[in-house]
Amino acid sequence: MPANPSLANELRDQYLRETARLHREFAATGDGRAAVTARTALVESIALRLWNECVSPDSAGPAGLALAALGGFGRRWLFPHSDVDILLLHESDSGIARFKDATRRFTQDLWDLRFRLSPATRTLSECERFDPENLEFVMSLLDCRYLAGDRRLFERLHGTVMPRLVAGEAQQIIKRLAELTRARHAKFGNTVFHLEPNLKDGPGGLRDYNVACWLALISGMESLRGWPAEGAPLPMSVRIPFNSALAFLMSVRCFLHFRHMRDDNSLSWDAQEEAAMQRIGAPGGPALSASAWMRIYFGHSRMIYRVCTQLLEENTSARPSLFREFQSLRSRLSNAEFSVVGNLVFLRQPAGLSDPQMVLRTFRFLARHGLSLSSSAESQIEQALPALAADPPRGAELWHLLQEILLAPHAADALRSMHSLRLLTLLLPEFRLIDSLVVRDYSHRFTVDEHSFVAIENLHALRQSQSKWDQRYAELLDELEQPDLLYLSLLLHDVGKGAESDNHVQSSVEIAGACLDRLELDAPDREAVLFLIGRHLEMSAALRRDIFDPETVRAFAEKVETPEHLKMLCLLTYADIKAVNPEALTPWKAENIWQLYIAAANYLNRSLDQRLHIDSHDEVMEHLRTLAPAAGKKLEGFLEGLPRRYLLTHPASEVLAHLEMAGQLGRDPVQVALRRGRHWYELTVVTPDRPFLFSKMAGALAAWGMNIVKAAAFSNQSGTVVDTFYFTDRFRTLELNLPEWERFKSSIHDVLLGKADLERMLRDRMRSDKSRPQKIKVQTKIEFDDSCSAHSTLVEVIAQDQPGLLHRISSTFAHEQCNIEIALIETEGQTAIDVFYLTSAGAKLSAAHQTRLLQALLKELGS
Amino acid sequence: MTMTKIEAIIQTSKLEAVKEALHEIGVEGMTVLEVRGHGRQKGHTEVYRGREYTVDLIPKIKIEIVLADDIVERSVQAIVTAARTGKIGDGKIFITHVDDAIRIRNDERGESAL
Repeated sequence: MPANPSLANELRDQYLRETARLHREFAATGDGRAAVTARTALVESIALRLWNECVSPDSAGPAGLALAALGGFGRRWLFPHSDVDILLLHESDSGIARFKDATRRFTQDLWDLRFRLSPATRTLSECERFDPENLEFVMSLLDCRYLAGDRRLFERLHGTVMPRLVAGEAQQIIKRLAELTRARHAKFGNTVFHLEPNLKDGPGGLRDYNVACWLALISGMESLRGWPAEGAPLPMSVRIPFNSALAFLMSVRCFLHFRHMRDDNSLSWDAQEEAAMQRIGAPGGPALSASAWMRIYFGHSRMIYRVCTQLLEENTSARPSLFREFQSLRSRLSNAEFSVVGNLVFLRQPAGLSDPQMVLRTFRFLARHGLSLSSSAESQIEQALPALAADPPRGAELWHLLQEILLAPHAADALRSMHSLRLLTLLLPEFRLIDSLVVRDYSHRFTVDEHSFVAIENLHALRQSQSKWDQRYAELLDELEQPDLLYLSLLLHDVGKGAESDNHVQSSVEIAGACLDRLELDAPDREAVLFLIGRHLEMSAALRRDIFDPETVRAFAEKVETPEHLKMLCLLTYADIKAVNPEALTPWKAENIWQLYIAAANYLNRSLDQRLHIDSHDEVMEHLRTLAPAAGKKLEGFLEGLPRRYLLTHPASEVLAHLEMAGQLGRDPVQVALRRGRHWYELTVVTPDRPFLFSKMAGALAAWGMNIVKAAAFSNQSGTVVDTFYFTDRFRTLELNLPEWERFKSSIHDVLLGKADLERMLRDRMRSDKSRPQKIKVQTKIEFDDSCSAHSTLVEVIAQDQPGLLHRISSTFAHEQCNIEIALIETEGQTAIDVFYLTSAGAKLSAAHQTRLLQALLKELGS
Repeated sequence: MTMTKIEAIIQTSKLEAVKEALHEIGVEGMTVLEVRGHGRQKGHTEVYRGREYTVDLIPKIKIEIVLADDIVERSVQAIVTAARTGKIGDGKIFITHVDDAIRIRNDERGESAL
């Protein structure tokens, strides 16, 4: 029961009446700052009247007790339904008892007026101690403001106790603030780009604004040992946009509070629609769509988040601690271009930013080492952008730099930084379509651009994951020949969502196609990226069917066409689903994706019987005929009888090169080509088929100390083989000695013509070679399958990878009168996985022959 | 009127068909879960690169619906028709009695909460 019922009624009526008026004014103006200031004044006047009624008729009394506003109330930021934080400050413990009844009546009356009151009662000496478990209280004191009571007591708090506390405990306060802030950010996935963001606690929200101001203030107070004259000393370059962002967020929070009639700070889809219609925070002009309005929101939110995280980093970097000692190790990353302090990168030669390569090298540096730009570096890059926009890097030069960023372990963060500074959309204008794009989908958590970054992040994170599923996918990632194409596909796979289209997949393909043309990707690489983008939902769709049904597997595998495409699509599907929201990739889905992958991989390896026929209407063959019209019958003769897989795994340029080599066989029956690929060397031999051919090639490579990681051997109807071996140069023979290239090729040539003694070469190599330590013991497994081919017997050999293994296997085949029609060789760590399609006398191997071959292989390899 | 809960375990590939069949008879609310299990249907083993990957518990979809009694039989028939392929692994339907249902938003109880 209030002490003075008529006053209580009067104040309640006043509060309701004024609140309604504030609501009407806000509805008319949308001015959040005015609304919170007005509400603060209203609550303050009511509080003072009750103070006079319950505690002291003189607002300056009583002695020994002061009333202060804290937190938002102290800042004069009372949102329509936010808490009212006050401090009852006592001179001493005896004062608490003396004023107990009066202060209880005071707070009770405020509660009865439906204020959400948060009163704190402290003595002055209690305010001198920092409690790390109650950081909130210290933070709220940073915004304290005198309301009533003993002003001298308040001044002692504000003028003496607070500066001394902050200066003395700055390190601890900042450390604790950083811990809590980073934990809060992590709870929201360290991104502002949520489809329904939390305006107060989410990254880039009002809480982050406060954190930035507090960090600047604490740092200032530590230096000055007192209060800075002009409040929180934020960096000059950010003050205007920072305050503009604050004004926007204030208006939106007032809108949400009035709309929901409670302290609800969630910007739901419905709220977004309404805010856009009313142009909350962005008055003037025609009505906005919700997505356009949200772009404005994200622009402000991103800015606040950037400043907050930078200040967190800068303030925690400056302070000595064991963690800082560890972080100082990062300083060893500093080089001639970049200086690293803590996690922040400073540019040693900002004038160098006139060179676009330097700009991109900066982000490559971030991507490699997981660092962030300092605010000065950001500012310098922003200033360099107009010149960069006038003459941006393009073509192969740009693609090469992007590749390096995409492949680096912290690519996603570097891309986010580029995007935040508007550099990414400058280099890839297509990305502008999905900048901060909200797409209404209950399962998606992030905006489309952030989803793409999270997907890239998911792939890079595979290698560090301890989960059983992630480790399987990580193995696949390590097998990719061109993972950069996969990352590029992930970056662009949803750009079509920003286009006006019912089919975002098709739109993404079209838009990405233009982007890839500008990057001057090689035709096969371009096709691979467009394939992945065009098929990026294919695996998810297949999961909705019976994945154990051979027909489902066949249909899916035939769309995918090659093992490399299959691996990339599997990883893209994994990363894409996992980027929808943290719970999207359930163990159920992860297992099903894996099962479908292995079923399709087995199908592709066991369905190589589809041979090319010159009279078939094959798109790829037509394309080749167009490229080499003069080749005519020679092309047809070369291709007739080769497996379709040959055309799918070799681009047109390579097929024509092989044709050229086949055309030289009359002059020299062994044609050898050698080139250096990105990961491996590639040896291609075109020659007439004959016994022991494959084993001699494998033996020659082993004799040179080369480690065969992959191989593909095909033969056409006229008996010409095209064998390609991908190998690593274990002893760097070719890398360090250019003249050895020709000697190596000549050696292969001579071995195949029988002019060189391969067995002696191998003996010499074995004598000098130290065997590799076996980290994992691999059990030899040999499997025969007669059902997957109409003409051949499939033999799969799994064995411990070691030098000369392929030579030994293929020699055994030759000794047992088996002809290798097709060979597919892969290596996974220390495991060799070799698949051969064998015939004997032009037919499949009989059961007895298979048994003899098995025994011979087991004897040669050891069981 | 009393209420009944239907739990239907079906093949993953039949989810859309079952959903559509239920919508056609006016059943809109349902809960869908990704589950694993098997009855008489054998597991699946795939050998990939020398390793065996065995799935003993086959992925399935479980649909849960609570309905007024007068629509239960039609719902069961709709599910059976849409989900059946005639092969082992089609799934099962379980029916249990429900004592009460409460709508959280406004405390409505009983059938009107469905």
